[in-house]
Amino acid sequence: MHEFSIAEALAGQVLPHVPAGARVREVEVRIGMLRGLEPEALTMSWQAVTLETPLAGVALVMDFVPWTITCGECGRAWTSAVPFVECACGNATPAPVGSDELNIVSMTVEEDEPE
Amino acid sequence: MTEPRKEVRIPLVERVLGANDEIAATVRADLRRRGIFTIDLIGAPGSGKTALLEATLRAIAGRRRPAVLVGDLATRRDGDRLARWCDRVVQISTGEGCHLEAGQVRDALAGLDLYGVDLLFIENVGNLICPVGFDLGENAKVGLFSLTEGDDKAAKHPYLVTAADLILLNKIDLAPYLTFNRPGFEADVRLLNPTVPILGVSSTTGEGFEAWLDWLEKPGA
Repeated sequence: MHEFSIAEALAGQVLPHVPAGARVREVEVRIGMLRGLEPEALTMSWQAVTLETPLAGVALVMDFVPWTITCGECGRAWTSAVPFVECACGNATPAPVGSDELNIVSMTVEEDEPE
Repeated sequence: MTEPRKEVRIPLVERVLGANDEIAATVRADLRRRGIFTIDLIGAPGSGKTALLEATLRAIAGRRRPAVLVGDLATRRDGDRLARWCDRVVQISTGEGCHLEAGQVRDALAGLDLYGVDLLFIENVGNLICPVGFDLGENAKVGLFSLTEGDDKAAKHPYLVTAADLILLNKIDLAPYLTFNRPGFEADVRLLNPTVPILGVSSTTGEGFEAWLDWLEKPGA
């Protein structure tokens, strides 16, 4: 289960960016489908590795980058959650291109309103 | 009464595995400086990674100066097997880790005499998924599949197929006894990675080894 290592690395990358005194509400990541990350496993790992840290209870928002499928016969291109799909033109083997992106996009923090 | 709170979205442009990637870059630069070509060998448990390396080390004895790092969750068995054919072997015990990370490679290399070494094999933990995304500082990833695993394994593990610089299909000597659809396997590989070389080998009989050893001499050619 590589989700645990990914969650540990993610927490390690995010923690230095947490402004002093701020409460973090959510962390947003972009994940290419090639990475084979299970959302439930990553959420569970995130919750485990952030326990008793300033990131405890912080929501992990996962934005999955889908496969791009291109049909070599009719030229149609579309996105898909799975790599092996049939084209509407009947071609059984359009080419899948996956993303291996694994990036932190943003962190949303809650700050006290200035007096 | 609770003070109103303001939510601020702070954009971050960071790779999740940035810390691993930085170590990997240092390892890669160090190995390059020493003239060592490094292979990250990734395959399922039982695909024959250690047997492939045993046969390869035997075949290149006297011609190359190899070193081997081998990762396993437990036991030193693979390291002991490989040490019969190579005097520079480090077994990395990952404990509960399902893959190697760059820091483990860096630490293992620190304990290894690399003088004269020109080829480094890193046998990753047996797993077709987790090891792929962790850069170890290698020059090439070799994806090892075998006939006994079934012909659908490339399609089921697209990250390894996409990331591989070479696909080895092991245990081809067992073809007469199995129903492995090799054209189908190769078609799945080709859809995901149109240019990757696919070589059939048998570590038991040595079939196909000539092409594999040629690739080792001129990887990427």
